[in-house]
Amino acid sequence: MEMTIAQGIAKAAALLGAGVCMGIGALGPGLGEGFVAGKACEGIARSPENANLITRTMLVGQAVSESTGIYSLVIALLLVFAVKV
Amino acid sequence: MTHKGLSLKTWIIIIGVIEIAVVILSGGLNKTLQVGFEDGTFAIRNVADKYSIQEAITEEFQPDLYLTENGEEGTIYGSTALYDFFHRIFGGSTLSAFSLIRMLIIVNLAILLIAFSVKKYLFDRPSKPQILMEGVYEFFDGLVIDSLGKERRSYTPYVVTIFLFIWVCNMIGMIPIPGFMEPTRNLNVPLGMGIMCITVVHITAIRTKGLWRHLEPFINPIKNPMCVLDAVGEISKVVSISFRLFGNILGGAIIVLVISSLVKFILFPVGLNLFFGLFVGTIQAFVFTMLALSYISVAITEE
Repeated sequence: MEMTIAQGIAKAAALLGAGVCMGIGALGPGLGEGFVAGKACEGIARSPENANLITRTMLVGQAVSESTGIYSLVIALLLVFAVKV
Repeated sequence: MTHKGLSLKTWIIIIGVIEIAVVILSGGLNKTLQVGFEDGTFAIRNVADKYSIQEAITEEFQPDLYLTENGEEGTIYGSTALYDFFHRIFGGSTLSAFSLIRMLIIVNLAILLIAFSVKKYLFDRPSKPQILMEGVYEFFDGLVIDSLGKERRSYTPYVVTIFLFIWVCNMIGMIPIPGFMEPTRNLNVPLGMGIMCITVVHITAIRTKGLWRHLEPFINPIKNPMCVLDAVGEISKVVSISFRLFGNILGGAIIVLVISSLVKFILFPVGLNLFFGLFVGTIQAFVFTMLALSYISVAITEE
């Protein structure tokens, strides 16, 4: 496939942007979900009889805090597949 | 019971070793093995891949774009006339719209099948599916009573329907039939369900608090200085709830496709489907349901 220099630069920028977007976008959700899981462990250790409720709440909270990571995934997929040069 | 020859354990180990060897070999070669008759002789040969990964992804996720890029004639079930007929209705996105509607019909049939298989023995000795479905219903009934109160138990069928629909949608992508895909992979389905959920939230709030008492915080800047932000926040609820489901399912499907074509569809997709299909699909269906429920419970509480 033949490309001019401008098209090559645009494609490279889109791919680089996708990588940076996914890398930085995965930082926040990773940290947040780790905190949630740690606190849930503490809660289960303190009161093991509430383990079911704590696990359920933990999963919902993690999925909600994951959404920013999912947004960056969608943006990265758009950059990789939808940007036509 | 005694076995002659090799035991089951030995067979599993042998098959596992062969699988791992094939995975390692086929990953490096970027070729597929072709076995068959050609030019009158039996041959086993390596053939180069027809597609690159990028083309495979485009064909799987944007079939209409793939057609226009490669200049191929579109067919549905091998028939051009059928394609032309649907092209007149759907326009530029014929193939994706057709496969989406086909998958939605299959999902609806599956849910009807579940409903009838449960309803048949309703007053008889409970069957196994009925016990399972009653467990699911009881679980969500408890959640509704916890968050909405006992007088709103009529919301349980709505909540269970949302959960079952999204769960069946996410599970149906794991069936290894060509053309089967998750309907939630298309943004239109989660977006429609998100709009429906927010509509139900506002109708419930208006029926509980009255029209003016519900709408005043959104349009009266004297009572609520942040009214514009609150109104925009209601729209962003739709975006967040639907993009979460869409992104999770689409990302999982792309990862499964990419890694499957790297290892030539051997052994790995099972584990990948266990995580991205079963685990993520169930969690996301549950999260969508819980969020739809908690939006209602936030909207009907009095400040």
